[in-house]
Amino acid sequence: MKSIRKSRNRFIVLSLAIPVILLLMFVVYPSVDLVAMSFTSWDGISPHRDFVGVGNYVDMFTKSPDLWLSLRNNFIYLAVHMVMIPIELSIAVMLNTKFKGTGLVKTIAFLPFIINGVGMSYAFSYFFSPVNGAFNDILTSLGLSSWIQSWLSDPKVVNFVLASVSAWRFSGYHIVLFSTGLTSIPTEVMEAARIDGANAWQQLWRIQLPSIWLVFSFVMFDCIRGTLQCFDIPFIMTNGGPGYASSTFTLYTIDTAFKYNSFGMAATMAVAIMVIVILVYLFQNVVLKKVFRQ
Amino acid sequence: MKKVFATVLSVCMAAALFAGCGASTSSSTAASSAASGSAVAEGELDPNIKATLTFATWDNEAIDFYEELDLEGRFQELYPNVDLEIEEFKDDVEYFNQMKIRASANELPDLMYLQTRYFSVYGDYMLDLSDTQAAANNVLAADCEYNGKVIGIPEKISSDYVYYWSDLFEEAGVEVPQTWDEFVTVCETLQNYYGADDPSFMAIGMGAKDSWPMYPLMEYSPASFSGNGTYWDYMATVDEPFAEGEPIREAYTKVYELLSKGVLGSDPLGLGYDQTLSLFLNKQAGMMIDNSMGLAKIKASGVDLTDLKSFYVPYTGEDGTINHIAQGDFFMGVTTNSENPELAKAFLEFYFNDFYPDYVQKLSSDSTMTTAEKAKDPYMAYADEAQTNVNIVAYMGGADDYTAIVNECKFDYNKVGTEMLTEGFDLEAAFDKLNADWSAAREKLGME
Repeated sequence: MKSIRKSRNRFIVLSLAIPVILLLMFVVYPSVDLVAMSFTSWDGISPHRDFVGVGNYVDMFTKSPDLWLSLRNNFIYLAVHMVMIPIELSIAVMLNTKFKGTGLVKTIAFLPFIINGVGMSYAFSYFFSPVNGAFNDILTSLGLSSWIQSWLSDPKVVNFVLASVSAWRFSGYHIVLFSTGLTSIPTEVMEAARIDGANAWQQLWRIQLPSIWLVFSFVMFDCIRGTLQCFDIPFIMTNGGPGYASSTFTLYTIDTAFKYNSFGMAATMAVAIMVIVILVYLFQNVVLKKVFRQ
Repeated sequence: MKKVFATVLSVCMAAALFAGCGASTSSSTAASSAASGSAVAEGELDPNIKATLTFATWDNEAIDFYEELDLEGRFQELYPNVDLEIEEFKDDVEYFNQMKIRASANELPDLMYLQTRYFSVYGDYMLDLSDTQAAANNVLAADCEYNGKVIGIPEKISSDYVYYWSDLFEEAGVEVPQTWDEFVTVCETLQNYYGADDPSFMAIGMGAKDSWPMYPLMEYSPASFSGNGTYWDYMATVDEPFAEGEPIREAYTKVYELLSKGVLGSDPLGLGYDQTLSLFLNKQAGMMIDNSMGLAKIKASGVDLTDLKSFYVPYTGEDGTINHIAQGDFFMGVTTNSENPELAKAFLEFYFNDFYPDYVQKLSSDSTMTTAEKAKDPYMAYADEAQTNVNIVAYMGGADDYTAIVNECKFDYNKVGTEMLTEGFDLEAAFDKLNADWSAAREKLGME
């Protein structure tokens, strides 16, 4: 009996040892190093890292207005993604009903997510191009040429264009996630609700949404994390311009590190975005829990 | 003296030995390497040394020429067991980002390219090449030292020209401008003439969405108008460089006046460099300001270039002379991280003394070596015919103080250029902010 327990314990320890070591090496150590770096003025090359205390944190709040402008742009992405969630959910609910071509619609919706982000961003650069751009051609052919804007260069418009591209890319992924969650709800429960006279809205609000609460929470987290750390779409489509008008927090952080050789300050910004993501996630969790409990 | 003679003799013998193993054409290669003065470096090396030399570049054009001219094979005639691993990067931004990460991990390649603006960043990671024959034969190396050391040998001369379609000029009734004011007028005339029928037409194709293509105007105009190639170093000594009377303020004011006339087309920030180049090749842009790498792309496009000509950007100084910026580019250096620094130096000697004369003929750039003569590219030579009153200004990127201030206040001239193209841009307010940021950075860095 003892030997079985010993073997079991050894197996557990060995099974856990490798992931724990990997976690310590590739997650914990870099994170600790990142936090430590955020208190230095390291230029990314010098062998010495001069300790500057909380100087970077103070400068980040007091001397980096463009950083906060960039963060504001991130929240535009977040807002657009949040607006898309009810639409994605509605499509997933529709796809969950029995009609032909569900699989095809899901595949088409999922396609943008598996397309390479860099290639897709380049394609959209040309799509929104002011010269020979397909989007302007479409508007013109529909008789809506007065709607034509400087899609990628007008600071008032550009972030919404980029956020829409981001939403286009990730909506299919969210639809598939919602759809998978909805499929997992036992059919007996839904049938019982229908027999009891529950209408579509009541079924959604009282049964489907609470049942997929974990999926919903994950999608929300994915949106928050993804939009606050958004990089590839603005980097390729506008390079954060004009000026910093379409820059994002991550784009600005990377510029700080590589263009201006301020790895210490960039580490501070990375810590800040980590904290912001955690805070927004916690807030979202509290709100979601309250809503679903009701 | 005896030792040097013996060394030279042994290298000559080794070269002859290797030449015997190779094709007849290679004998001259190996022999010339020894004769060209790289004997000391090579003499210390075992020709049978087994190693891999890593060599990083962002010059995509060069990679094809390396293959065509068999760079590795020719070097292996000298060192048969040495492999050459060329690491290629998409562009200079990606290249220098990667190099920065690798420098912090002491993982730089054996050989890497630099630009003068990165000397202060990588200077401590580069070996001194002052004693090489390549440095002695290079026309720019000695003038581009960093802290008294030659840390890189430039293989190109970077000069930006205005490439234009002469048939478009002719039809619009304009001629090559001799002064900045004439240049502004030419741009306006072209824009009005062709823009009337085609709203997407650009007098100057810039690709400002990518920000970096603004550099001929934003980086070079202060040095060009003032005729001071080390302008950035001067700027580092001034507390308020954007104040009234300062050269950069005057230069940027002129550039802003040009840009505000709409000569970059109706939506200049909506188009990147590649898109703009395509439009230029399609004659939907009258001019493009570009360097030899851009010219290489134009030549490789396959379009009819009969009407393509060039002129210097007419940055005219007070005496009416056109100040034309020229700088060494693609400085090849040996890093301190190299496991085989002597072998890397031997490669560098081979590259500039033996390989370069053939290689430079393929480039659009002028030669930087006294040992490799090359006629000026015919498309660039048009500029010399069109404008004769030209003064060459040797340009250097800013040194340590300038870099420190730029990093502190995040001054990005190209971004300033793109902001000039946005609606409601206030030049005076921009100058005030730049001045405030600049002086605060100097104060923080203790440079008052």
